Amino acid sequence: MISINNRIHNQRYKLSRASLLLLVAGFVQPTIAADYPEAGNFSNGSKVWVENCNRCHNMRGPKELKDDQWISTAFHMRLRAGLTGQETRDIITFLQASNTKTVASGSTLVSAVISKGTTGMETYEKTCIACHGGNGKGTLPGTPDFTSSDGALSKTDEVLIDHITNGFQSDGSPMAMPPRGGNANLSATDISAVLKYIREAFGK
Amino acid sequence: MKCSSNSFRRKLLVSVVSISLPVMALAESNNDDLQTQIDALQNQVTALNSEVQQAAEWKNPNTLIHMAGYADVGFVSPEKGNDSFAVGTFSPIFHFQYRDVVMLESELEFEIGEDGETEVNLEYLTIDWFVSDFATILAGKFLSPVGQFRQNLHPSWVNKLPSAPPGFGHDGAAPISDLGLQVRGGFPIGGIRTNYAVYVSNGPELNSETEDETEFELEGVRAEAFGADRDGDKTFGGRFAVLPVSSIEIGLSFATGKAAVTELENGLEPPTAGLESGFIGSETARDYDVTGADFVWFTGNLSFRGEYVKTKIGEATTGVSAGEAATWESIYTQLAYRLPGTKWEGVIRYGDFDSPHNSQDVTQTMLGINYLVSNNFIAKLGYEINDGVTGSPVDDDRTLLQLAYGF
Repeated sequence: MISINNRIHNQRYKLSRASLLLLVAGFVQPTIAADYPEAGNFSNGSKVWVENCNRCHNMRGPKELKDDQWISTAFHMRLRAGLTGQETRDIITFLQASNTKTVASGSTLVSAVISKGTTGMETYEKTCIACHGGNGKGTLPGTPDFTSSDGALSKTDEVLIDHITNGFQSDGSPMAMPPRGGNANLSATDISAVLKYIREAFGK
Repeated sequence: MKCSSNSFRRKLLVSVVSISLPVMALAESNNDDLQTQIDALQNQVTALNSEVQQAAEWKNPNTLIHMAGYADVGFVSPEKGNDSFAVGTFSPIFHFQYRDVVMLESELEFEIGEDGETEVNLEYLTIDWFVSDFATILAGKFLSPVGQFRQNLHPSWVNKLPSAPPGFGHDGAAPISDLGLQVRGGFPIGGIRTNYAVYVSNGPELNSETEDETEFELEGVRAEAFGADRDGDKTFGGRFAVLPVSSIEIGLSFATGKAAVTELENGLEPPTAGLESGFIGSETARDYDVTGADFVWFTGNLSFRGEYVKTKIGEATTGVSAGEAATWESIYTQLAYRLPGTKWEGVIRYGDFDSPHNSQDVTQTMLGINYLVSNNFIAKLGYEINDGVTGSPVDDDRTLLQLAYGF
């Protein structure tokens, strides 16, 4: 009987190990980018992206391309727009971080370079300001005007938190905001804080 | 009692054994099934792990292969001609990149002519060596860095109207492409962003026309990349731009070199000697000078841009098309406004093109309405009001419809 129990125990152990392996295999995500170029600065990347791409053509949303495609595209645009190498790396970091709903496990690239700030205002200035602007009116076509009395801020906190968390495409806007503004490091507390700041700063 | 007790023990033992044997047999059978399942699972995990490893491997290649590009189809309705459906171009762009060191990029251009023939051109092909954060060396056939339209705005999904401004198409005032070596990049001066491009190239060639097939005159500048420098003098050029604030870019361009007539109208043979030194008869290389300026200002839903370019060919005292200096000049300004909260965009452009030939001169006003299905898929409706010499081909208003897709 002891022998049978040991066998069953061993087999259960193997089964548990196999299940664990399967579970791990199922959640293993490929690394989010190649090991080049060097990681850039997310916040500066969003700023450079907004300030340069729209100068010649309509903005292409981060989710239009995969990480490796953004590398080649950004290097192509480096030549077209006269960007520096650092600006190119910053844009790539921003776009790669913004084209996914969640940060892949094992990723060090995103978490290492995205600063989220400690207050709602700091989070806004590091993550949101490039597209929504310092005055909340929006810097890109299709970006909602926070100062409009019947605009985005007329919605409830619950709706807006859902939009910020999961991404949102306004009616009439040809491009969607990425989840968490592209900064996957933002927690629920950060999102609540930044929404509170947006309402205080721009709401009517 | 002892006998009875032994009998009871025997019966109990028999009972236990008789119950245990089937249970043990059943357990053994279940264990075998379990073992089989575990083995199968382990095989699956091993295979899955291998696939995951391979998938992860291909996420980190040193070489990236990427295709982008654009295409457009449309409908043209001239006031003085037949309405036609048209395919503009299909222009795939290929990128082959080795890490952040070098990129080969090439654009092909497929077009369908009026006769139904498909024409393929190599729009550009360069090997780009990223030598520093502030400079990239390009070698090959490149789009002319003179001005903005040819190098950045001509793709149909970028151009906000269904046609190019007058003078910025082929055989206009603005150079199209060139073949040579270029250095370009950007760098900050204090808090101000700048960008630049300088190049040396084979330069353009000239063609000539005739009315009586005995006397020829300069027709136009073929400012497209040539695979040989038949006039023997290299062309130098470039553009420098400054962004005093992030929403404004102001650029100045130039090019200088030599160009010679290498082609007579309809392939006619020159009345003098044949090819000498690579170009026709006693033709001499003429001065070739280009100057240009451009600007763009954009804010929110509004963008305003403009561009000026002038190409001057010096005089020639000898040769089959000897004559005075000639100048091609073009200017345009364009205002575009996206209606807030909608996908509609209104565009107006004014352009003027002057050449040595009055029949080519045109002043154009174009109105356009765009619907942005997405930012890279645009439906355009435009109306061109063209004012040229009465009776000339360019003196014809047109309605244009276009679907443009960038990928």
